[in-house]
Amino acid sequence: MANRGRQYLLLADEDLISLVEANDAEAFAVLYDRHNQAAYSLAYRMMGERQSADDLMQDAFLKVWRGAGSYRSERGSVRTWILSIVHNRGIDQLRSLASRRRTQQKIEASAPRSQPSEAFAQSWRNSQREQVREALKTLPPEQLKVLELAYFSGYTHVEIARLLDLPLGTVKGRMRLGLKKIKDYFDSQDMAVPG
Amino acid sequence: MDHGRFEELKDAYVLGALPEEERREFEEYLAAHSERQAEIEELSAVAGLLALSPQEQEPSPELRRSIMGLVEPEAERRRASSRSWLAGIGEHLSVRNLALGAAVLLVIGLFSWNMFLQGEVRDLQGQVQNLQAPREESRMVALKGPGAAHGAQVEVMILGDERAVLMAEDMPPVPKDKTFQIWIIDDDVPQPSGLFETREDPVATVIDQPLSGADAVAVSVEPEGGSPEPPTHPMLMAKL
Repeated sequence: MANRGRQYLLLADEDLISLVEANDAEAFAVLYDRHNQAAYSLAYRMMGERQSADDLMQDAFLKVWRGAGSYRSERGSVRTWILSIVHNRGIDQLRSLASRRRTQQKIEASAPRSQPSEAFAQSWRNSQREQVREALKTLPPEQLKVLELAYFSGYTHVEIARLLDLPLGTVKGRMRLGLKKIKDYFDSQDMAVPG
Repeated sequence: MDHGRFEELKDAYVLGALPEEERREFEEYLAAHSERQAEIEELSAVAGLLALSPQEQEPSPELRRSIMGLVEPEAERRRASSRSWLAGIGEHLSVRNLALGAAVLLVIGLFSWNMFLQGEVRDLQGQVQNLQAPREESRMVALKGPGAAHGAQVEVMILGDERAVLMAEDMPPVPKDKTFQIWIIDDDVPQPSGLFETREDPVATVIDQPLSGADAVAVSVEPEGGSPEPPTHPMLMAKL
C-alpha cells in the first residue's frame, strides 16, 4: 500500500483523476496533497476566515471525489478544474444570506488590502502564480477591484454597481478591460494562458 | 438574447457575476450557439487565473483528516458494492458463457446457413429451369396436424428426387425459447432436417435432408436450437 502511494506520487494529475473515478481514495489523497494549498488559498480569499474556508474546502473536495468522472481534460488542467469547483461552491456559499453578511463586513474591513500594491507585495514560490500576479499588477486598481468583487466575493455585476455606486455599464466595461489586460499580458510575454 | 447581449454579458458570466436569471439566459444562448463555446472557454481560462492570485494559505492537517475521513469509508462502500455486483455477475457468468457460446454458434450457423441458402437459391434456380422442362418432376405435399396446428398451411415442394422446400403459413404461436424443426422419416427413423421460425409469415425453408426414398416429412416444436432426438408427437405430418 505504501509502495503504491509512492508510485502515485509519480503519476500525472490526469492519471490520478482516472484512479479517483475508480474509487481510489489513495489517489485522491495524492491529488489533495498536490492542490490543497492553491485551493485553500482561494477558499480563504473568498470566505475571509478559516472555518468557512475549511467548510468550503470540504464541500469542494467531496465534489472532486464524487464527480471525478465529470473532469474533461480538453477543458483545462486538473488544477484549473479543482479551483473552478472551489470557486463555484464558494460563490454559492457567499450568496447565501448569512455568508453575504459576513462578506459585506469583510469587504469593508479589508478594502485597503485589496489594492494591487499591497495585494501583490508578497514573495511567490510558484512561478505560474507569479506570472498571474504580475499580470494582475498591470491592471488599474478600479478594474482589479471589480474583478475581485466579482470573482472572490461572489457579487453580481448589478450588486457591484450598487456597492461602488457606478453605472452598470461601467462595471461591465471594467470587467471586460480587466480580463483583456490579463490576456494581453500573457500574449505580450509570448505565454499561453495557463489552463 | 442576441449577439450584442451575449457580448455584453460574457465577461460577467466567466467571472460568475451574473444573477441567476441572466446566467440561465446566457447558458441557453450558449447551448444554442456552440460556435461561441471556444471563445467562452478561453475567456473562462483567463478569469480562472484569478484563482491563482491569492496569498498562500496552508490548510490545517485536521482538514485533510476530516476530508479523508469522509472519502475513505465511501471508497470502501463503493468497492464493497462493486464486489457484490461482480459476484452477482460471476454467479451468472456460467449461464452467460453458455448463452454466449450458443449465440456464437448461432451466428456461425446462420452464416453457414446463409451461404448454404445462397447455394440453394442457385440450385433452386437451376431446378426451376429444370421444372420448365417437361421431363422434370415436381410435386407439392401438404402437411396436416390436429389441434392448434389445424389451421396451419404447410406444404413441401419437392424438386426432383433430392431437393425440397417447406413453405409454412398461419403456424400456431410457440414460446420464445422454442422453434419448429423439420424431420424426414426414412424406414421409421426420423432425421432432423432443418429448423424454422415464423417471425415472418409465410416462411420458406430448404429441407436439409434428401427426400429420395423417404417415407414421410414432419414438423415438431422443439427447444431453441433444435433437438437431435425424434419427437414423440409431431405437430404436422405428411406421407410422401
